[in-house]
Amino acid sequence: MIATFFLLALLQIKVPDAAQIIGPPAGTPITGAQLERRTMEISSELRCPVCQGLAIGDSPSIMAANMKAQVRELLERGYTETQILSYFEKSYGQFVLLKPKFQGVNALVWILPVLALAIGFILVMSKAKKLESAPAKAPVAEEPIDDPYLARVREMVDKP
Amino acid sequence: MNKTVLIVGVVIVAVVVFVLFAGLGKDPSIIDSPLIGKPAPPFALKAVGSGETVDLTALRGKPVILNFWATWCGPCYEEHPTLVANARNLPNVQFVGVVFNDDEDKIMRFLAQRGTAYPTLLDTNGKTAIAYGVGGVPETYFINPAGTIVAKYAGPLSTEELQANLAKALR
Repeated sequence: MIATFFLLALLQIKVPDAAQIIGPPAGTPITGAQLERRTMEISSELRCPVCQGLAIGDSPSIMAANMKAQVRELLERGYTETQILSYFEKSYGQFVLLKPKFQGVNALVWILPVLALAIGFILVMSKAKKLESAPAKAPVAEEPIDDPYLARVREMVDKP
Repeated sequence: MNKTVLIVGVVIVAVVVFVLFAGLGKDPSIIDSPLIGKPAPPFALKAVGSGETVDLTALRGKPVILNFWATWCGPCYEEHPTLVANARNLPNVQFVGVVFNDDEDKIMRFLAQRGTAYPTLLDTNGKTAIAYGVGGVPETYFINPAGTIVAKYAGPLSTEELQANLAKALR
């Protein structure tokens, strides 16, 4: 990363920096296995913009690889998960977040399944209550058997 | 009770069908940009061929048409002549091409064969594309003279679409 920085400085190249968009890092820099693990975790929360419903961690596209590299770099610099997600959200919008935020129309994604379950539960419970309170039907009287064969079988069964 | 269940069911199905139809009519590759109305993320990138650095902030004062493309992108071949022709006809508008995830030799061959009328910059690690929320190529951002992004267009531009979006940058 330091070598890249010096190379860019030498060429007077300046790419948009996270600090201009989300401010200074709020966490502590991480390295090694922890860096790899956190990169994968955060990459699984970001949608690949050129794929259909794939996280950047699961996509083989170049765009996803670039975004994943950016996640890793931001973690190395000490940016927190919230800051990193916010960085991508500021350029791609909420579309980039695989887990939609609980706000605006997106809140429906969280509310509707719970609401549907609650309505279903209430319907089932009220139906069950009705069935419980309904008077039990009188047992069906045994029909007289005309068939002599069946009469013989019954006689044999009933015999102690 | 049965009537209530039926009404609730019909309402739920109607909402789901409406949402599905509304979603099916949309192109999933077109994402509304949250950067519209915001300052264009600044960058200074190396131009292909000349090696000079082009700084976006130095272009303030005139509208900028910032086009992200690549030689591996089919629709970019279709769009290129439109951009070059308009860049020649509109000297007061600064056209800038940004190529990401591409090979400089391939870009130079592309430009030599098809011509160019504006600088083409190299975004080697795709960071500039990410800062602009590029979801695919070609994608074009229209920046007004104050440096604010006023429109984004995904896909190959026609002259009509280019001029309609440019008009927003000239307001």
